[in-house]
Amino acid sequence: MLRLFSIAISLWLLFPTTSSAQTVQDILQTHAEEVLKPGRRSVGVVLDDLVDSGLPQALPFLEAWRDREIVQRSPDGLFFRAVEDGDEITLFDLDTGETSVGVDDDLTESRPNGGVRRAIGDALVQFQLSDPDIEKRQAAVDAIARSMDASQLAPLMASIEGEPDAGLKEVKSRLAGMLAATFGETPEARIDAISGMAGDLSVDVRAVLNTILASEAGVAADLPSDANIAQVLEVGKDLTAEEAYAQLVAADLAPALITKTDIRTALEANIDGGFAGGVPLANLNTDAGRAQAYDGLAQLELVPPRVTDAEQAAAIEAHTFFMAYDEPDAAITDAASEALAAIQTNVAVSQAVDLGLDALSLASIYFLAAIGLAITFGVMGVINMAHGEFIMMGAYTGFVVQQFVPDYTLSIIIALPLAFAITFGAGVTMERLVIRHLYHRPLETLLATFGISIALQQLAKNIFGTQARPLTSPEWLDGALVFNDVIGISYIRIAIFVMALIFLCLILFVLKRTRLGLEVRAVTQNPGMAASMGINPDRINMLTFGLGSGIAGIAGVAIGLYAKVTSEMGADYIVQSFMTVVVGGVGNVWGTLAGASLIGFLQKGIEWLNPSNTLAAQTYMILFIILFIQFRPKGIVALKGRAAAD
Amino acid sequence: MQRSFLSQNPSVLWFIALLALFTIIVTLMSEVTGVGLISTSFVKTLGKTLCLCLVAIAMDVVWGYCGILSLGHFAFFGIGGYAIGMWLMYARTEGIVLESLAGQAIPPTPAEISDAIGNQIFGVVGSSEFPAIWAFADNLYLQLLMVVLVPGLLALVFGWLAFRSRVTGVYLSILTQAMTLALALYLFQNDSGLRGNNGLSGLQNIPGFEDASQASISIVFFIASAVALAAGYIFFAWCMSGKMGSVVQGIRDNEARVRFLGYHVESYKLFVFTATAVVAAIAGALYYPQAGIINPGEIAPIASIYLAVWVAIGGRGRLYGAVIGAAFVSLVSSWFTGGGAPNVNLGFYTIQWTDWWLVLLGVSFVVVTLFFPKGIGGLFDLIVRKQS
Repeated sequence: MLRLFSIAISLWLLFPTTSSAQTVQDILQTHAEEVLKPGRRSVGVVLDDLVDSGLPQALPFLEAWRDREIVQRSPDGLFFRAVEDGDEITLFDLDTGETSVGVDDDLTESRPNGGVRRAIGDALVQFQLSDPDIEKRQAAVDAIARSMDASQLAPLMASIEGEPDAGLKEVKSRLAGMLAATFGETPEARIDAISGMAGDLSVDVRAVLNTILASEAGVAADLPSDANIAQVLEVGKDLTAEEAYAQLVAADLAPALITKTDIRTALEANIDGGFAGGVPLANLNTDAGRAQAYDGLAQLELVPPRVTDAEQAAAIEAHTFFMAYDEPDAAITDAASEALAAIQTNVAVSQAVDLGLDALSLASIYFLAAIGLAITFGVMGVINMAHGEFIMMGAYTGFVVQQFVPDYTLSIIIALPLAFAITFGAGVTMERLVIRHLYHRPLETLLATFGISIALQQLAKNIFGTQARPLTSPEWLDGALVFNDVIGISYIRIAIFVMALIFLCLILFVLKRTRLGLEVRAVTQNPGMAASMGINPDRINMLTFGLGSGIAGIAGVAIGLYAKVTSEMGADYIVQSFMTVVVGGVGNVWGTLAGASLIGFLQKGIEWLNPSNTLAAQTYMILFIILFIQFRPKGIVALKGRAAAD
Repeated sequence: MQRSFLSQNPSVLWFIALLALFTIIVTLMSEVTGVGLISTSFVKTLGKTLCLCLVAIAMDVVWGYCGILSLGHFAFFGIGGYAIGMWLMYARTEGIVLESLAGQAIPPTPAEISDAIGNQIFGVVGSSEFPAIWAFADNLYLQLLMVVLVPGLLALVFGWLAFRSRVTGVYLSILTQAMTLALALYLFQNDSGLRGNNGLSGLQNIPGFEDASQASISIVFFIASAVALAAGYIFFAWCMSGKMGSVVQGIRDNEARVRFLGYHVESYKLFVFTATAVVAAIAGALYYPQAGIINPGEIAPIASIYLAVWVAIGGRGRLYGAVIGAAFVSLVSSWFTGGGAPNVNLGFYTIQWTDWWLVLLGVSFVVVTLFFPKGIGGLFDLIVRKQS
């Protein structure tokens, strides 16, 4: 036994080819006739043998065959792949790849026709679907998904069983399901496949179902009995009389309408000495006059008569308008519409969730932009028009840091505190130099800070130019968290949301739990009393303003990651930020949160109702806010009691 | 009232006299009389400046006298411009269309004419239908009424809502700014019916006066602007000098006390807000035919803030201050941004004023607000005090 085994081993080592016992050339020689003059039927044998052989060389051969590169050399009848380069022909051995020079007269080309090449292509797909290289299998699956075809179903089904990669296996069976839904052989198989797709939200599944449910408008005297009717259309409700008549004309069931342009052309062609159709030209400046003239021409049978309204109505009355499915089998279309309805309910729910996520991220951006203002404007009552420019300064700080620190993660980590420091400094400087002198003249603070705002904006333009500067986010923030085909949220937005949360907690902590916060609240409520308790109001005002500005700087870095950094970016947020603070209720961090949420959700909601137009959404939102303030002038979270006093 | 209105307000006479003198001089030196010392384009600039002075007066009344820092008066100015622009554009396009259709064999129907005009005007925004707001565009008199009615009604409704719920101070400013932003955003849309981003153009061609030269049109508008400015000045000076003026200024200084005295504060504020909005719109209606084009960018909130800044620099609470501020800042601004100012070479860096003008302007706002709260107009006080 052992001896026999060793003999077998040695034999196998000596004659490695004996195990498969053949080469591609061998198989081709067996079917030489079919290879040279392949027909749609006869080619099947060759392909089957090649596929069964499992030879790796079969794949390049099939590709070459499909591309019409296979030749037969007449002296020995061997097949080669031939590559023509000018006058020279190089022959490649199909098994070893050895090259030799071919003589044009000796060679006979194999010329597979379209049908044969399709069959070869299918065999190729089968090869690729079971290729050991996962990337090739993936590519084959992608190719099928791109252009679905009935012939792909069988090879795809066959390859699912042996697929080692779990992920790809799932993709394959999904794809097979979609193929089966469209191209399945029996109605039962198709209905099964269709009902299997009901839970899938992806766009391609919906596309498959929609293709099955594709319908065409039809018109006939009576409802045709053989058609799969989707819907009988009611004129006046489902389609207008004009559309219905146009459909009749298109189906040659009614004479075409004479349009105003037709009348005009006809009249122009039949002008006769200052008259057209018996009507003087001067009278042709009304539709009635022209109609009269046209009728005159029609009586002379120079032009076809006008279709009267009564005729139109009668023609429409005499016909039935309907939508008919392209798919003749009603059971299949029923299953498909059921599946689609189920999917659409799911999609609607998912879309609502997605919209909620979008709104949440917009709200957190508004919150970040406004939270600094909530301190300077809300707590201190200083209207700082330059707040937007502090946001811009923060964003440009991030940009400059990235010029020096190429590592994006590190640069963001450096940029955040640096932006805070820079804008804190700018805020303190501004408070000391300008705002301090204007505490009793709030409206003039607005003007002075507006002056600073345009100066800073122009300064940024002079330094950094007018084009938008990128602030690149670290790699781990690229991409999106995808729940299903509808719900997805980019990591940057999540990061901004988290940042907004952190800031909320931080500011609440500073205001409510620290000595500084206590002093800030004391000074805002009653500066005189606070001063007599030993608090220095000047110092507190300075620090508070610096804090608010510093937060604007950090918000600038966050917003810069999400939007572009330009010198005008601050101006985009300033009005919204003020509205956020005012809507939310002045003097209260929770109010700002409420205001930002309200505005964010409202804007997304309006955009959803009117998806084509962001500008309109913003317009309506502002109108809503104006109205809202009428009814709650103190904002959502209104302070009560003494703190509310101006 | 013992003394007459004019003797109470000597500044009005002075102002009218100076304005008349200025108008006559400019007219005499313009290209119309053949002297040509002042170019047509500069006459237009001066005419536009007079319109800006008029809207600045309105702003001064609402802010300097009544204490409402409205950041929406330039929006009213723009609405006035749009209203007159609609007629100008419609009438001019109608003329062109009629001319081109006249050569055809069959006379056009009214529907064909209106279609052709619609195509001409709204082709840029991919439409040819006339929106409902153009209903009166074919009639100059109705459209002139619109110049007054639309902003007047808008101001009335907005003011009624805002004053009724006692929105005051900074909040009111932000609210008016929101209104301006909403209006600008609305106009930016292509389907707003006002050609979106493109705005209305070709307004310098006055229908019915195709044969008149731009030189004479510019002088006519210049004089009209001067007359409007004078009328507006007298009207507001008269309003603000009597009992009503006292009440309005009382509201500015302490709204609660005026209310406790039994005055209906909201009505006074509403009147001032609406009247100034209408005057702003009239100024706009005179401005844009001289500018030739109006687009939504002109209405953006920043324009209204600039308006407040002019008034602040000129000096609030005095009408001539507003005029000085608007004229000074807008002329200096066009001098700097137009490249008129010489660049300053610092050796290591050359200051190009086209780039640095806004920085200078911004810093001067700060300086004026901090150190000269009375503005340029405050200088007159010094002179008067020296004399007495």
